[in-house]
Amino acid sequence: MQRKHNDFSKAIKKHVNENYLKDDDRRSFLNNFSDWPSPTNEKWRLSRLGKLARKSFIPYVSSSKKIKETSATNEDFFSLVFINGIFCKESSDKLPKEIEMSFLSAKDLISNLRDVNNRSVLNHPTLNITGSCFQDFIKLKIKANCSIAKPIELLQTGNCPHNSIHPLILIEVEKNSKIKILEKFKTNVALNAPLQILKLEKNSKIEFIKFHNDDSETTNLSLLISFLKEDATCNIFNLINGGAFTRSETHSYLKGKNSSMNLNCVYLSTDSQHHDVTSSIYHDFPNCNSSQKVRGVLNKNSTGVFQGKIRVEKKAQKTNAQQMSRALILSDKALSNSKPELEIYADDVVCSHGATVGELDEEQIFYFLSRGIDKQKARFMMIEAFLSEIIEESVDKVFLDEVLNETEIAFKKILEN
Amino acid sequence: MSILNIKNIHLSIEDKSILKGVSLNVNPGEVHAIMGPNGSGKSTLSYILSGKEGYELSSGNIYFDNKDLLELSANERSNQGLFLAFQYPVELPGVSSMNFLREAVNVRRKFLGKKELNHLEFVKEARRLASSMFIKDEMLKRSVNVGFSGGEKKRFEILQMMLLEPKLAILDETDSGLDVDALKIVSNGVNNYKGKDNAVIVITHYQRLLDYIVPDYVHILADGVIKKSGGPELAKIIEKNGYAGIVDAA
Ligand SMILES: Nc1ncnc2c1ncn2[C@@H]1O[C@H](COP(=O)(O)OP(=O)(O)OP(=O)(O)O)[C@@H](O)[C@H]1O
Ligand SMILES: [Mg+2]
Repeated sequence: MQRKHNDFSKAIKKHVNENYLKDDDRRSFLNNFSDWPSPTNEKWRLSRLGKLARKSFIPYVSSSKKIKETSATNEDFFSLVFINGIFCKESSDKLPKEIEMSFLSAKDLISNLRDVNNRSVLNHPTLNITGSCFQDFIKLKIKANCSIAKPIELLQTGNCPHNSIHPLILIEVEKNSKIKILEKFKTNVALNAPLQILKLEKNSKIEFIKFHNDDSETTNLSLLISFLKEDATCNIFNLINGGAFTRSETHSYLKGKNSSMNLNCVYLSTDSQHHDVTSSIYHDFPNCNSSQKVRGVLNKNSTGVFQGKIRVEKKAQKTNAQQMSRALILSDKALSNSKPELEIYADDVVCSHGATVGELDEEQIFYFLSRGIDKQKARFMMIEAFLSEIIEESVDKVFLDEVLNETEIAFKKILEN
Repeated sequence: MSILNIKNIHLSIEDKSILKGVSLNVNPGEVHAIMGPNGSGKSTLSYILSGKEGYELSSGNIYFDNKDLLELSANERSNQGLFLAFQYPVELPGVSSMNFLREAVNVRRKFLGKKELNHLEFVKEARRLASSMFIKDEMLKRSVNVGFSGGEKKRFEILQMMLLEPKLAILDETDSGLDVDALKIVSNGVNNYKGKDNAVIVITHYQRLLDYIVPDYVHILADGVIKKSGGPELAKIIEKNGYAGIVDAA
């Protein structure tokens, strides 16, 4: 018998009616959300939302009262600050002229998602609740033929433990342009439901690092949708260590030949945290590459999930798709699940996938001990090695120190007893 | 005053009795060779000495440098100057050899009350000793033992011994898998390290090694005990006749 759900669909209906009465486009998203996905839904079976469903919260609405602002201080980045999903101009840096920023509507969201027909995306709770309840929908356009060396930093902060927040961003990289982005989720909210769309035009490139480090009570349901045209490259690296429940879901559409999607991830979990990496890559054109590599370290009662889907259409010959998930379990109560899903309709493809779950190897630990290095340090060095391998392979030089540093802080924390 | 004194040790693994009363005394400046058929317990003895989990004695005592060895954890034994060159060195993917060596050396230095070496000082020292073992700089950048050839792994073990300057080095079949040149390199390394204050136990199957590292004593471990001890000539007899006449079943 399921315990009673709080009726979130009612709450958002009321919210939309009160705030955006005339907006039929928002309402079209609203109508797609009746309740949180149930555990019988295959996409959500391993990551159940019961706890969230029983929580009582409503979407955040900006009040006139001034919130204490975090201001951007890092000289190495163009920082854009968001508070509770709302863009905070005063705290943000001015962008260079090659990057155009604008605000979009729910109608624009619909038109940008025209090509999406997967039910798992169209029925995704984040798409529908954020599509109907967002406050700011920011678009960043990187103009054609620009290579922007200084990275953008997106600081997603928030503090409203009884609300959901709905950051919504579209990043469009025009042809032959390059951009590097570091995004940090650090919120203390009931639900953080960021929706992000990346559009990569011909021969463009994005390096995108995302830190999911929300407060220990927060649920984070990130949804990222990317579209790649010919010769485009999208490198995403996710670090997930925060939140009570964090699911980082990505859908990538390879819509032009020679495009390349690399979606690698590290998650670090402890206590009763649940971390989920779900990604789908749709190979629609020939000669494209994709990689989904995930490494997790789990301690105490934590759980980890990797669901990786690769779909290769018939005309997507010479596809090269790799998928690998490895989890390191530090406690006998921690659990890691991995669910690969391969749908391959082309014949000339190279696809590999694999998953391992294991403990730290006692023989390896003994080798450290025999050289005088104590057990704690040995464990530390082995986990560091396990993680740095994938980080060094995935992360652009400009972000490497920051990512290694953030990872080290996070895994020191999960090693604490 | 001995460096190592093993007194009548017994060990069983999963109800199988492996050592049935082994005693051995090693003094400073000595080289002992331990020989014996496959599966006679030579590596087991080395694991007992280095404190591997699962190799706890059912009876007997071991003193190392006048301390009760069994009271010390594996890493403390290394800190105190006991070193094991593994028969099968373990691969550590992602752990750079240089970092691993530096960590080990600094832990030992700290224990000895010496100043820890900074990165540069350490790299210089490591390279110097590595080149004496014909180990290329490039190898030190790689993960510990990953992709090393059999011979490279063995030379890397000896490099670790040189860096850690132990009181007692146990070399478990360090000669196996070495070509003639590598055998000379390794033996040279051991002979240079050997002095009047430290000692070496070499576990080997072949007399060949003992031409280079000349032992003071040769012991035959078989049927769970030291069946016979003697001088270097004992190794030559075994090379010629095998273990017939020494070991029950041979
Ligand atoms: N962890 C273990 N579990 C079960 N049996 C073990 C274990 N360790 C050692 N043994 C057994 O103890 C016996 C001695 O093994 P050991 O490796 O010490 O032999 P060895 O003398 O070093 O042989 P070799 O010359 O082949 O290296 C063998 O029969 C081996 O199978
Ligand atoms: Mg052996």
